[in-house]
Amino acid sequence: MGEDEGPSVTRRTTRSSFATANSTKNDVVERTKSNNICSPSLNDLLYGGAPFDLDVLLANFPGRHPQIHELLQILGPSNTPMLPIFVYGGPSTGKTSIILQLFRHLNRPLVYSSCRTCYSPRILFESVLNQLSHHRKDATNGYSSVKRCEKPSDFVNFLREALVGLVKRLKENMGKSKSSKKRERSIDGHMVYLIFDKLELVRDWDKSSSILPLLFNLDSILNIPEVGLIFISSTPPDTFYSSMGYIEPVPIYFPNYSEDDLRQILVRNQAYPKLYSSFLDAVLRPFCRITRRLDILSAIFSSLFVEYCKPLNDLAIVPNEDLKRKLFSNLQPHISLFLNETFRVLSQSSSGAERTKERELRGSKRKIGMHEESDELDFHMSTSAKYLLISAFLASRNPATLDASLFDSRGGSDGRKKRRKPSETAKGQKEAEEEELLTKGPGSFPLERLLAIFQCITSVAEDFLGEEVQEEDSLEVEGQNGPLMSDVLLQLSSLCNANFIVKGGTCPLEGSTRYRSVVSEDLALKVAKSVKFPLAKYVYRR
Amino acid sequence: MMKTAAAAASVPSRGEPSSDQENGDNSLQPFFILHKAASDKSDRKPSRRRIPSSPASPNKPGKSGDDDSSGDHSHEHLRMEAFQHAWSDIETTIKGVLQSIDSGTFEAIYSWIIESFSIIRTHVSSGLSEIAQAFPAAVDSVSRRLFTGLVLTKNMELFDDLRTFEQLGQFLRSHGCHVANLSSMEFVAKNGIGGCITSLLRQFLATSVDAPDMITLSSWYNDQVNNDTPIILIIDDLERCCGSVLSDFILLLSEWVMKIPVILIIGVATTPDRLRSIIQCEALQCLCPFKFNLGTVAERMDAVVEAILLKQTPGFFISHKVAVFMRNHFVNHGGTLSSFIRALKIACVQHFSMENFSFMLRGLIEEEIQGSKHGLLLKAIYNCASNISPCERNKMDEEAVQKLVAEIAQLKRLHFLWSIVVLCLYEAGKCDELRLLDLLCEALDPEFYASRVPGSFTQETRYTKASSPNDCFTHQHKFTMRKDGFISQAMRKVRDLSESHLLSLLKRWERHTADISEIHEKVKELQHMLKFENYQQVKKDSMEIAKIRGLQSKSNLGRDMKRVNDKASSFLAYLIEKYMQPIECVPSHEIVCFKNVKKLQMALVGDSRRRIQVDLLESHKILSCSCCRNDNILLSSMHDTSIMYSSCQEHGDLINLHDWYQSFKRIFLCPNSKRRHKLKQSPVSKKRKFVDDSEKLSEVVIQSRFCRGVTELQITGLLRMQSKRRPDFVQRVAFGL
Repeated sequence: MGEDEGPSVTRRTTRSSFATANSTKNDVVERTKSNNICSPSLNDLLYGGAPFDLDVLLANFPGRHPQIHELLQILGPSNTPMLPIFVYGGPSTGKTSIILQLFRHLNRPLVYSSCRTCYSPRILFESVLNQLSHHRKDATNGYSSVKRCEKPSDFVNFLREALVGLVKRLKENMGKSKSSKKRERSIDGHMVYLIFDKLELVRDWDKSSSILPLLFNLDSILNIPEVGLIFISSTPPDTFYSSMGYIEPVPIYFPNYSEDDLRQILVRNQAYPKLYSSFLDAVLRPFCRITRRLDILSAIFSSLFVEYCKPLNDLAIVPNEDLKRKLFSNLQPHISLFLNETFRVLSQSSSGAERTKERELRGSKRKIGMHEESDELDFHMSTSAKYLLISAFLASRNPATLDASLFDSRGGSDGRKKRRKPSETAKGQKEAEEEELLTKGPGSFPLERLLAIFQCITSVAEDFLGEEVQEEDSLEVEGQNGPLMSDVLLQLSSLCNANFIVKGGTCPLEGSTRYRSVVSEDLALKVAKSVKFPLAKYVYRR
Repeated sequence: MMKTAAAAASVPSRGEPSSDQENGDNSLQPFFILHKAASDKSDRKPSRRRIPSSPASPNKPGKSGDDDSSGDHSHEHLRMEAFQHAWSDIETTIKGVLQSIDSGTFEAIYSWIIESFSIIRTHVSSGLSEIAQAFPAAVDSVSRRLFTGLVLTKNMELFDDLRTFEQLGQFLRSHGCHVANLSSMEFVAKNGIGGCITSLLRQFLATSVDAPDMITLSSWYNDQVNNDTPIILIIDDLERCCGSVLSDFILLLSEWVMKIPVILIIGVATTPDRLRSIIQCEALQCLCPFKFNLGTVAERMDAVVEAILLKQTPGFFISHKVAVFMRNHFVNHGGTLSSFIRALKIACVQHFSMENFSFMLRGLIEEEIQGSKHGLLLKAIYNCASNISPCERNKMDEEAVQKLVAEIAQLKRLHFLWSIVVLCLYEAGKCDELRLLDLLCEALDPEFYASRVPGSFTQETRYTKASSPNDCFTHQHKFTMRKDGFISQAMRKVRDLSESHLLSLLKRWERHTADISEIHEKVKELQHMLKFENYQQVKKDSMEIAKIRGLQSKSNLGRDMKRVNDKASSFLAYLIEKYMQPIECVPSHEIVCFKNVKKLQMALVGDSRRRIQVDLLESHKILSCSCCRNDNILLSSMHDTSIMYSSCQEHGDLINLHDWYQSFKRIFLCPNSKRRHKLKQSPVSKKRKFVDDSEKLSEVVIQSRFCRGVTELQITGLLRMQSKRRPDFVQRVAFGL
């Protein structure tokens, strides 16, 4: 969620110590040397380039002024201890980037670890420790961490050790920098801040039995006043605390942006602000109704804006009302398209165009346009796999009691008997069943039922085909009477692999595996059409 | 009779060792396991003697006695050598064809990678120092998107494409990218995201890392000398991946994309829409997808068939029935090109091992390569003959060899003509999405040919020679075509083609027919006609426009166009009638043509359960003992399981265990009565016999044998054990063969 960096990116000056080591292609030895030289460099713990004023920070984050002021208040002036903070708010509301930029403004050292990158407790622990002791994993140390640390108790010990050392050095450093102002950027105060981002993910780690309490308790366990803890999460604090007896961190809420905020954010950094704002006039409102997530909106708008600008030659013009209307009418069809789906697959870029053209000539029907809903199946399946897919679909859709009447020629009488019964029972039961079917989704079925339906279907289909193309018969080889039936299980496994059929849990009564078809009706109909099977006849509808 | 059965079983298994190199072929055959004994050394002799000599061969190898084994041995050796030679030829052709199909897409993917990499780099150039740190690179969300190439394989079966993705990886590596191939096995819920990172690091770092994380990867990437190339991750199968793990992985990568320029390539077997159902919405937002199409299976199939069965020399060919079987197998079951190629290989092995003169084919192929006339072939035949034995050589008379050589030359010529006609038809049908294999099946049909040509081939040629040279364009074809046939479809297409398409079609025809001057001339003539007509049309048009009679001219144009189309179509008919002679209608085609569908079917489909049942019911045929030859009568000397299976045939789907056991016991205790009556006896007689016969076998022994039999039947999948509800019944699973 570090999206709103904008202008500061360009102004950032590269730091001396690492930039020289990294920007040129140097060998490992040299790097380790430079590492050794600046090994105590505490500046590694500072974020970003040169610090800037509060005004710049506020200007960079329109619509977030109260949150920034609140944060500043809690962090306090330098060298004041603080209570842990819990920052939360929906995704893409600027939590991470504001915190980071705030620390850049304050010039205070921080240790940042995202629980997405550090996907297990061990990696989280080691990442924190590595940063604290300026350790880099590379080929010389076999990509190992500074310390092997798996247990929470080890982590607390190592962490305390590292933090105490660091704070000591920070204090020394402060005295030094006061006397001699060698460095352009000096660390302000002797506080160290630990930031844990994306904390909501920790809940999924081994049921979070030990890690979450540890992190929330860290402040009181360490009991070092020079350490500040900041948690960032996209879910509210209620989803974490479970009355474990620790002090609740100070919550700071980042609400979703309002429409005006979004406009301000989006217009910033645009090359043609006038044109862009007229573009926003047209599109922002309808899209805001769908989502206020800045990342989604900016992705959509960036491609929509290209469409918007297409008829224009000079992008620097200030559009008048007439032109605005014209552009809007141009854009209208695209808006509805983007409103419906935000995920679009682009086809090959210009370089592959010749090939696609060639293909188009041959295939003619298949257009690259992504919203061309064609009736044809555009991938290959063997015929028996198709029939198997259809029968799985039927088995999932239809109640098992109906199989006899649908597929058996003698089933008619059976069906009549059964039909009489529900007429006597209450109607409510039927409705309840219907509802249940809706909520349950596709039903599961045992293998035997699938095979039975498959055999019925294929025999029907063969009759059907036989009537239609008599001439084709001479192409059939003798001994092909049941050509579709062999290696059905192989086909079934490949259907499972393709995620069309899901192996459900085993039935507790029978102990055999049950399957469930998860194909959409559209796809099933397409498949049925490709083998000319009258699927609609067999699907049970109320 | 029995010997042939045993020999038939031994043939495919003899071919097996050669195909061992391919891993896939090993797991083919449950059938081989059952018949392993047949390929034993001692069993080989009968099979050798059995090899049929081709009817058209001029000299029958009349061998006898001691000559037999030594001569035949070298024969076999030569045959296998010839097979290996031929197959390696075919294999390299296939490889080349497939590579040329994919190469276009590969190039497109590479240029897209370069493009996206430069986009990533423009975002990242400002903050190089941050790369080494743990802080997230602060950039806007648009540049944090992950460039993703969706490679649509368009085949539900993945097997063919595993190789393609591997080749893609090699291709990109050769262009300097860092490539890692991740399979769907790495995206399983059990290992979580750690599994894929571990595999990633293992591929890049070539060492195992204690705690795998992205920081390690970024540090490795920065240490690389060539860290101005992208890192490509190829995930070959989207559908099999666990959705949540893949989403986590994508989110993780998108956090790092500024520091490590990662570009994803994901293989999608079905449709790109599946992405939406597999990957979580949030991860989907991080993707910036582009799609690429690989060649479809049908396209690949066409290309392979064209290269092997049409364009290659007839070192090996398949008959109509075999072609139809292979097509049906592909359409109904196989679905992959690999299975088709495997079928072709099996056919090839069987042909070479069964056909007496197959060793000559090597000479045939070599001759084609070196481009000389009959010299090499003749030499090859002599060479082989000299290898056989000196006395054999004398028997081989000059005349017969010459005749054979001439016949083979004729075969080659006719086949070449046939393939040209088929190619022309295929070109015509291409725009109608006609599949070459379908066309091939129809073109190979000897019945179709017989219906077309009432007289012999020689008569035909004489007749056409007598007729005027331009006759072919007004040719009225006398043969009756199937209405839905693919040939007629292609011809109809020619009639309906628009002018520009017709012109390009004629150009392609010209290319194909370049070697046969007589057809080539005609094609040129057609082209001229078309151009002339155009020219005239233009002239007419300009005149008529002046007269403002546009309407009429349009209809005129249509009519004239039709005339050329008709000519082209009837020319095609003429070609079909004159040149398209299926290989089975050419004398001595047996040498190159594989015809035995049954064998291929056995080898491919296996049908193991049927085989088990047949073997159980007719165990004496396999055991070939002298004691139990009697048909339909169960004797105590038979194998236990066989007795039990035969006796359970009388039951329905439920078998009463007690009854079954009783009948089993009866067979042992009263063998004499069986001869007179059948299985079902009156209880009275049974009792009498029971008293009469001495109890050779104790009850316990019979019971244990019975139990073992039931277990064996259950293991073979013919029975299901009793349920708790009905403890005294077992259920039959297999009915009929």
